Order: sequence, then structure tokens, then C-alpha cells
Amino acid sequence: MRLGMVIDLKRCMACYGCQMSCKAEHGTPPGVFFARVLKREEGHYPTPRMLFLPVLCNHCSDAPCVSACPTGASHYAEHGIVDIDKDMCVGCRACMMACPYNNRYFLDERRYYFGEAGPTPYEEACSDRHPEGVVMKCNFCRHRLAEGKDPACVENCAAKARTFGDLDDPESIVSRLIKERGGFTLHPEAGTGPNVYYLGP
Amino acid sequence: MKDTRQELEAVMHAGRALGEEIREDVWIPSVCTICYGGCAIRAHRVNGTIVKIEGNPASPTGSGRLCAKGIAGIMILYDPHRLKTPLRRTNPQKGIGIDPGWKPISWEEALTETAARLEKVRAEDPRQLVLQVTTTMAPSSLLFFTFGWAFGTPNMWVAGGGVHCGNGAHAAGGITHASWSVVPDFKHCNYAIYFGASKGHGAGHAATPNIAQAADARERGMRMVVVDPMCNFAAAKANEWVPIRVGTDAALALAMANCLVNELGIYDVEYLRTKTDAIYLVRPNGRYARDAASGKPLVWDAGAGAAKTYDDPAATSAALEGEYRVNGEPCKPAFAVLRDHLKKYPAEEGERISGVAAATIRRLAREFGAAARVGSTIVVDGVTLPYRPASAIFFRGAQGHKNSMYNCFAIDLLNHIVGAADVVGGTLGFNPVCHGHPESGRPRYQPRPDRDGLMAVGSWMLPHVPYPPAEPRRPDSVGFTELFPLSHVSPLMASSDQEQWWQRFDLPYRPKMMINYGANSIMSVGNKEAVARSLKNFDFIVSFDLFLNEFSDFADIVLPDASYLEVFDPRPNFPFIFNHPAGMGEWGWPIRQPVAEPTHERRSAREVLLGLAYRLGLGPEINMAINAFYGLDGPQMLDPAGTYSLEEICDRELKHKFGPARGLDWFKEHGVITWPKKAQEVYWRPFVDVRIPIYHEYLMELGERTGKLCEAAGMRFDPRYYGPLPEWLPCPSHEVKDAAFDLYAFYYRDAIQVNGFTMENPWLDEVARMDPFSYRIAVNAETARRKGVQDGEAVWVETSTGRRVAGRLRVTEGIQPEAVGIAACAGHWTEHQPIARGKGVFFNDLLELDFEHTSPVNLNLDLCAKVRITRHEDQHAAHGA
Repeated sequence: MRLGMVIDLKRCMACYGCQMSCKAEHGTPPGVFFARVLKREEGHYPTPRMLFLPVLCNHCSDAPCVSACPTGASHYAEHGIVDIDKDMCVGCRACMMACPYNNRYFLDERRYYFGEAGPTPYEEACSDRHPEGVVMKCNFCRHRLAEGKDPACVENCAAKARTFGDLDDPESIVSRLIKERGGFTLHPEAGTGPNVYYLGP
Repeated sequence: MKDTRQELEAVMHAGRALGEEIREDVWIPSVCTICYGGCAIRAHRVNGTIVKIEGNPASPTGSGRLCAKGIAGIMILYDPHRLKTPLRRTNPQKGIGIDPGWKPISWEEALTETAARLEKVRAEDPRQLVLQVTTTMAPSSLLFFTFGWAFGTPNMWVAGGGVHCGNGAHAAGGITHASWSVVPDFKHCNYAIYFGASKGHGAGHAATPNIAQAADARERGMRMVVVDPMCNFAAAKANEWVPIRVGTDAALALAMANCLVNELGIYDVEYLRTKTDAIYLVRPNGRYARDAASGKPLVWDAGAGAAKTYDDPAATSAALEGEYRVNGEPCKPAFAVLRDHLKKYPAEEGERISGVAAATIRRLAREFGAAARVGSTIVVDGVTLPYRPASAIFFRGAQGHKNSMYNCFAIDLLNHIVGAADVVGGTLGFNPVCHGHPESGRPRYQPRPDRDGLMAVGSWMLPHVPYPPAEPRRPDSVGFTELFPLSHVSPLMASSDQEQWWQRFDLPYRPKMMINYGANSIMSVGNKEAVARSLKNFDFIVSFDLFLNEFSDFADIVLPDASYLEVFDPRPNFPFIFNHPAGMGEWGWPIRQPVAEPTHERRSAREVLLGLAYRLGLGPEINMAINAFYGLDGPQMLDPAGTYSLEEICDRELKHKFGPARGLDWFKEHGVITWPKKAQEVYWRPFVDVRIPIYHEYLMELGERTGKLCEAAGMRFDPRYYGPLPEWLPCPSHEVKDAAFDLYAFYYRDAIQVNGFTMENPWLDEVARMDPFSYRIAVNAETARRKGVQDGEAVWVETSTGRRVAGRLRVTEGIQPEAVGIAACAGHWTEHQPIARGKGVFFNDLLELDFEHTSPVNLNLDLCAKVRITRHEDQHAAHGA
């Protein structure tokens, strides 16, 4: 089984629900977004195109972050998920240099959303999950998968633009969507074998 | 390396410190209120801390999904800058930026003083009390108005709401769709044309459920055309963006209507005959020809060669065209009058006014007319129904102008020409018909005909309904809504010319005391100077708030409100005409309940106000007002002599609607009750015997009467806005002659920030700062080049009336070259909201706030301004982040 995600750019309307549900699920510190939405425009008035691109860790099959990690902290977990064992991470950030997708974050020091006012009760409850001096990123919500749920960004997507499933199973919905609608990955030239696919707008 | 089990244990401690014992792990259903959308949510509470808010999968208004704003509610709940105790001002001087010198006081002290002030006001003249509430909590905040009814004041308003967002759209929606707003029937529509609306793209009524419905429609292949000065949200997802000159929507819509009727000959004869007043005979003076005995409007029965009343069975073959002699006068069917009227708007005239090419106008009309498939039917749930898969919708952008009423009527006319109103695939009102829960039969409502056979709503937000309009009369209220019965909310509550109106109409009192509920009216209405001047009239202002804000500078006592996550409400999502998703699916009635207990000294404002009413001896009055508001009768009716808690009232309201077994306890556990919608409810038009006006004869009568009252008082009145057929009339911004002011500034609703108070939410702020547009001033690339300004530069946006705001530019290809687009209600300056402070641009400060800039029909404020942009002299200041 190789878990992956398909994001339908025709359905996505850039509400930032994925970005926010990921933050709320993981309690990430300020400046850290395992899921993000990028906006860009192309063309000229009066026919410009407004493009929205939700991004996250691609959980690559040939992940340069895993190869670059000197301690084995970045590793392949179950079903191809790329995760970081924070106890093994020494914060060298070689993985961040190696990742062509810019979806890893290094927490240099603890920060809170209300600054000097200190952590909210919510942030207190979440802060143990993100120790200082280590790298962090999306792990496809492994804790939710273990409970039989989809990743938070998938379950929350108001446009139902995200589908999650087994890319090794040709009959899975993700595999069929990629086949039928010509799914593509980002930066295929990097040769990393991303497991996050996109359907065109 | 750890094994998978160890690893998972490490990642599965959401909501508690590692190793901490789980004492509590619950999901509590409730309702979001970051915006008025009211989506059903459930909150995850672990060991007393809220660790997640999600959409409630059990509800059609939540469907397990939630927008970014709703998810971020945690950061409002736990904001350390929230008010913690009641505060009393020590500095008697009031003004923008003048420190009130807040001193913490006890609740008892605060309530004793408030009660004493209220008693004095009530003894003198209860009308001196003004209740001001926020749109954010609508419809829940309307419960506040029961205090006003009990107290005896007519002066209640939603500050900013109404005058900005819907005095036009809601009135028009009510008159022609019996609903607060309109959407395409996403499930079946094949061609939707949006005029200044973003339904399904991140903002507005039923915002979250609409996102999935709109995405389904896109995937299915619905063609979407978005008419808008800016290519964002809806336009970004559309098949075609039609850039339009700000505020000229009526001209484009009327030109399209002319193409349909006079060039293409596409119109739905059957629909016009049976569901509109198109057959009503119009006299040379513009009024309906009426039957002398019954007063009913007459139609021309071509077979009999005689005039008959509209409800005569022969009316089905009544004439739509021609000219007939009736009571000695030449009369024409309303449709024939409309047809002639539309000839004033050939596509070339549409182009001249709106900037949209005549060829484009003709093509859009052709596409819309062809897509409507006039005459076709479809079977839904075993019921054969008219099938008109084309829809024209409008909202804030189109209606937010002085020509508000005609803009809305002109756009909606497109639907009625092709019969695409509340039928399969067409434009749907939000749920104007509900047959009730199968067991209780409640809530039950549907539109009904008035004496002219025209539609009156079956359910509405407010006691007054849009049609038939009330008789205009000399005003008794500060906002003069009695004089303008089609208005919901009046800018005269805070306008710069309010005193002039009050004097001319001899208003026998002046507002002296205000109770405010969460509205930051200094920022939410118009320019801050006008609002500040109006607030200075008050001797005493009590304000329930989450935070100190810009409005607090004018308050005398500030009371710390419990947030939406800490209070009860039995009907946060009702009436269904407001924000329940339209189309087939399920009905869902959720409750709001506390997911966390209020901390510090925070209390639910509505409970406090209820307590105040009892304390003032207004028990019978408030109980009767609540009975009226909730429609309570039978065993659930409040006893006038009783004293009730908000929880008891919630319990009675729920039992009244869903039977004795489904009181508050049942709802606390289940959160929501759902039942399936019927095709006869959703596509109600063929089943309910009502007509709607395409010829608004009642406006003429209304205009004459309102005009007489205004003239008698010496106030200028422009009768052009009260014609029976929509026209394009310019906004004040279109009439600015000074060529230096060459751009039209407008604001739009952002998907990540809504209203003013989300700006203090650090999660939303962080995303808004990452967004290219949220905090920037959008200007077309060619325009920027011409002006010599660049992306990222600080600029002044300055009106021809001398108002100006600063901000940073976003140069884009996605905006009409004459337009300046600014998002949301931003630009806070209060030090009490450190996250919000200095972010974004305070657009509303550009708006004139007087009758000259107000629709004289529905009192919508004109929300565009003619401006110039110039490079800011200080490039280093923050200017809108």
C-alpha cells in the first residue's frame, strides 16, 4: 500500500480551509504551515487567470530528505508516509536543503501566537508535540489514519477537492482520478516520485 | 528507530501534554458564529481545553467541513486580550483615540448603574434608548431586539449590516423570491451569471455548504460567468470574467433583458402569465387598471375580448401584448410596457454605461436565453417540474449603491423573463417554503398572495416584511424606517445629516442611551467622523464586547461578553430563508450551546439583558416579546408573570418546534435535528399560488406618499428611484466631474477575514498576511504604470470629498482599469487589539454617510467612491502590513 493524495484544482477555490484545519489539528507554532495555499496570476487583463495551488509534503517515494538525513530521523513510515522522528532529529536541516518543495520547517525557538502574553491553553496542550531545535512537517495525519480517519485537510475540505487513498491499488478512487483526469505531480523533473497528485483547473 | 506503534503513540497525544492522563475527551455539537453564516460545528474538548473545531457532519449546514475562519475560532476563545471584567470610564471626555481611563468595576456596580440609567430614560421617553447589534451574531442577535420591544423603543439597528450588505438584496430577494438572498440551483443549473456576488466562493449566506455545491456544479460543467470589477474568488473559478465599471450593474442587466425580449424574443409566456403581474393592465398614468367593484387588477382576456380580474380562470389566456380600451382609457399589459421600456437600453447603451462591449452583452443574453430552455420540464423525486437551468444572481457588489433597488430588480428580471425562478436549475431563494418536521409539522411557512395576488413572504428575519410595503408615515424612530418602508436598516442612525432630518420632521426626542452588542460602528458603517459625531449625542453607552475596540472610546461601561463558544441559542441557524443551504438535501436545525464555560467574569450578553429586563420590572413585556419573536404558543408560551432563564426559554422554543421529547436536553446531546427536504418545498413556485411583480406598481404609490411627506418637511426627494420598472441611475461617484479623481474605489468580502473582529485572530491574520490581496489595495497593472506607482508601494487613496486612507498596493491584471479594490473591514488602530492593529485598509473611512449617498428607496448606503491614488510620502511606515 502506498498512500497518496489527489487535489482537484477545479474544485479548489482557495478558502484556506486546508491550511487552517492542518494548523488546528497539529497545533503548529507561528510561521509553520504543513499545508498552504499559494496564489498566482497569469496572463493579462481582461483575461487573466487566477491560479490557486494547495501544497503540502509530497511524501515522495524517492525522498531526497530521507537520503539527506544523517541520523535516520527522516524516514519512510507505514505505507510510504515520510515522517520525522523528532527524538532522532539533530536539527542539521540537511533535509530542508534537499527537499525541492520547501515544505519543511525548523523550529529555532518557541513562539506563541499572542507573543508576550504567553501561550493560550490550546497552545499549551499542543506545545509538547513540537520541540525546539528539530525539523517538522506534514505526516499525512498518521494519528488520524490510525483511527481510521482521513487526514484533517482532506476531511475538512469544503470544496471536497482532496481525495486520499492507496496509489498502489489501480481501483482506488485516487488511482482512477489520476488516470481519468490526467493527474500530475509538482516538479517531476526532480525525480522524487511525489505521492501528491493534482488535477488541472 | 522506534517501531510504528511507539511512533504513533508519540503523534497521538493531541490536546494534552505527553504522558498526561486523559480525564475528558468529548465532542460537543454547536454552531459557528465567526460570520453570520451559522455553520454547524462540533468542538473537541480534551481535559477542559478546546483542541479542535470542525464542521458537524450530522448537519447540512456543517457537513463535517468548515471554512478557515470557523476553524480559527479557538484563537478567539483563548485570546488573552479579551475583556475580563466590567469596565467603567473615568475620563468624561469622549473622542476617537481619547483614552477613556478604564477602571474595573463589579458586575453589580455595572448593572446597578445601567439599570438606574435605563429607568430614568424609560420614565422620560423610552424611545431615547438605541439598541445596536452586530451582523456577526445575526440571526441570534435579533433576540436582543426583544429587549427593545419590551422597553418601548423603536430604535434598533444592525450597525453596518443592512446599510452595507442587504437593504437592496434582501428587499428584492423578499419581493421576488420570498427569501433573504438568492443562489443558483447548483445541482441543476447549467449557466449562472453572478453580478457582484461570491456565493459558493468563501463568503456569505450558507458559505461553507455552498462551497461544495458550487464545486459540484463546476465539475458537472455548469458554465459560470462573473460580472465584477475584480477577478477574485467567484471570478477566479468562473469560465468567464466580465469586468464591469463599478456600480453600473443595472445598465448591463437591462441591456441583456432588452436583447432577450426585443432582439431574441426569448421569454417564458406561461411563467409570465401565471406567476407574474406581466398580464396586469397598466393605465396611461402607470397604475394597474382595477376592477371598480373589487379593486383587483384587471387583465385582458383575448378570447372574450374583455377585461377580467387577474384571478378569473380565463386569466391563463390573458394578453401579454397589445393595447386595449378599459374604463375608457388605453391600457397595456405590464409586459408590453416593460418591452417598450427596455428599448431604452440597447446593448450599445449598456456598453456606454458599464464598459462591457455591446457584442459581449448580446452574447451573454443569447447564452443565458438558450441555456434557460424555456418550456422544458424535468422529473425530480417523481415530480414533474419546470426546468430552467439558467440563473442570474446578485449580492453585495451589485446592490451596494445608491441605485440599489433597481440594480437588484434589473438583474433578477433576467430570471423572470425566462421563468427561471425557484424552479429546477434556476435561481432559488434560500428556502422560502418549509412544510416542517414530519412529526411536529413545524416550522411551517410558505409565501401567500396579497390582495393583488402578489407574493408576501412566509418567513422573514424581522417583524416588518418587504412586501406589501407598509404605509409610509411620519417617523417615530431615529432611523426613519417608517418613512422608507422598504428599508431594513437605516444609515440615519449614524449619518452626518441625521440632526437635519430629525429637525425637519420634528422628532420629539433625541437618542440618549445606547446598549451596544458587539458592533464596532466607528468602523463598520462609514467614515469615522460622522459616526463619532452621532455617538457623542449619547449621554450613556453600555457595550457588551469581546474586546475593547475603536467603538469603546465612546462607551461609558463595557461589559465582558461570553463568546459564541460559551453561550446558548435555540435557533442560531433559523429562519431558513437566511443562511440554510438551498436546493435539495436535508433540513437541519442546530442549537448553539457552550463548548467551554465562560472564564474570568465574562457573561452571556443575552442572559444579562434578560436579567436587566426582569430587574426593571419588564417581565411581562419581555416574556410577551419573546413569545412573539419565537412564535411560542400553547403549553410552551412564556407566562407573562414568570421569570425565565435563557436555558428555559431555549427548552420551550425547541419543544414548541419539535415536540416535548425534544427539548434542550435532547439537543444538547444531539446538537441538530435533520429531516429530508421535499421537491415541493425546494421547487415551490409551481405549487404556491402567488405572483411576483415584474412591474413594480406599488413603488409608484410608495414614492408619491414618501415624497409628499419629505416635501412637506422640506427635504429633497428624488422620485426617479420609485418607478415601476428598473432604470440605471448613477451613483454620486459617477457624477464627480473633477478629472483628477479618475478611479472607483469599492470593497469586497474576503474569504479569510470577515467583518471587523476576525482581524484580531492571529491564525486568520497570519494567513491574510500570506494572501496577495487581503491587506492590499488592488489596482490594475496598466493603471499603476500610468500613475507611476508600483506593487508594494504605500499609497494614499483619496476621495473627491477629501477623505483618504493609506495602504500598500497590489498591482494585478485581475481588476478593471478604473477600479480600486480593498478587502473587508480592516485598518484597526486600537491598542487593545494588537493583532488587528495596523493591518489592512480602512475602506469604510472613504464613505460619505448621508442621505445624498443613500438609496432613497431602501436606504442602502452607496459603497463606492470616486478616488485618486498618489504615492505616499512616507514609504517606511507600515501602511496596512
